Amino acid sequence: MGVNKNNVKIHVEHLKKNFGKLEVLKDVSTDIYEGEVVVILGPSGSGKSTFLRCLNRLEEITGGDVIVDGHDLTDKKTDLNKVRENVGMVFQHFNLFNNLNVMGNMMLAPVELKKATKPEAKERALQLLDRVGLAEKAEAYPAQLSGGQKQRVAIARALAMNPDIMLFDEPTSALDPEMVGEVLQVMKQLAADGMTMVVVTHEIGFAREVASRVIFMEGGYIVEEGTPEEVIDHPKQPRTIDFLSKVL
Amino acid sequence: MARIITNYGGLLLAAMGQTLLLALCGLFFACILGLVFGILSVLKNRACNIIATVFVDIIRGVPMIVLAFYVYFAVPMLLNNILHLNTMLGMKGQITFSALQAGTICLALNCGAYMAEIIRAGIESVDKGQMEAARSLGLPYWRAMYRVVLPQAIRTMIPSIINQFIITLKDTSILSVIGFPELVNTAKNVVANTMSAFQVWTIVAVMYLVVITLLSRLAKKVERRLNRGRQ
Repeated sequence: MGVNKNNVKIHVEHLKKNFGKLEVLKDVSTDIYEGEVVVILGPSGSGKSTFLRCLNRLEEITGGDVIVDGHDLTDKKTDLNKVRENVGMVFQHFNLFNNLNVMGNMMLAPVELKKATKPEAKERALQLLDRVGLAEKAEAYPAQLSGGQKQRVAIARALAMNPDIMLFDEPTSALDPEMVGEVLQVMKQLAADGMTMVVVTHEIGFAREVASRVIFMEGGYIVEEGTPEEVIDHPKQPRTIDFLSKVL
Repeated sequence: MARIITNYGGLLLAAMGQTLLLALCGLFFACILGLVFGILSVLKNRACNIIATVFVDIIRGVPMIVLAFYVYFAVPMLLNNILHLNTMLGMKGQITFSALQAGTICLALNCGAYMAEIIRAGIESVDKGQMEAARSLGLPYWRAMYRVVLPQAIRTMIPSIINQFIITLKDTSILSVIGFPELVNTAKNVVANTMSAFQVWTIVAVMYLVVITLLSRLAKKVERRLNRGRQ
């Protein structure tokens, strides 16, 4: 593992996002390098989830630039679907496809998008399920899984496309406390394997342990960023100090 | 009663066949119209939404009997006498619809509008995270719609769709006004011949009741099977 400063995976410049008259992201710029684990902290309404959702353009971008692996997401000519194939996303509410079982969830995109034949996709799905500790749940439907199991399947489903970037949108916020650990464990393993990750979370412990960089956002801006020691243990900005004093 | 059944039973059964034929033709095209307009109304495109809304509002705002007269009498007149489409196409005679064609169009339009609303509501009932998750994996919109959203929407739509089918089956009786030889129209003739209104209409009512009860039962079965698969 390790951060490769020579390879910018995501370049964000003066990103703005409005919902109608509401300015959610006012001016956000940052670079995310290969192998980085960037954890985004901030109070609710700070724009952190919106920021994440702009990185694969699940949200229309109002202004500025987002360049992922050299593809400009604001350019109309960019094939968003191609970019998204390389950017996995994990959602707060899992969003497993309820009409498909676990294998169906994992094989749908690789097979539909001709990334793999059915047998290949199946083999890879089983490997990934094994990796997240759910090999025995291959035939189960989402409704039969616990929250933690659903989220681990969701992570495996995203990995089935072999992405080089993974986005996590509050992956543990909808889980019962006793299930948070199993999901964080999978994410730690992923980080250890060198995946480029952007994680929006409230898990300060995870940020401290796994993040190579912590970004603190508030009011549509990046207020402070740096190593976990810098931002979490020795914050300089009053708003960061105020936020951390409430959550720690 | 027995005399009427022996003399006219076959005729009335054949008329029930015509009723079912008309209903099936209408429902077939209604499903297509419903799917098209239902999807138009959920697309993120104002023009498409407006087209769907206008279609649904017009059809819902016009009684089926007026629609039937309109399609059978008014539309051919518009095509022949006002637009002169028949001479433009080099036809000697007039453009006309058979009662079956006009009836099918009426049922398709009428049922299609209600189906569009059912399909819109069904698609909207699927959590939008399902579409987002599919898109985030790189699936194009239509593929995500077809493989992820629609299969889930159809589940919630099935009871309403079957209900609409039953309403449409009953609505075929309205098309007796344009002379389609379905059950009610045929029964009227039988009543005129036999002067036995009580007996004939009792038989007709029972025939509808039996067919629709069977359909409802079938619907319940389908519904239960779908719900069983969910757990």
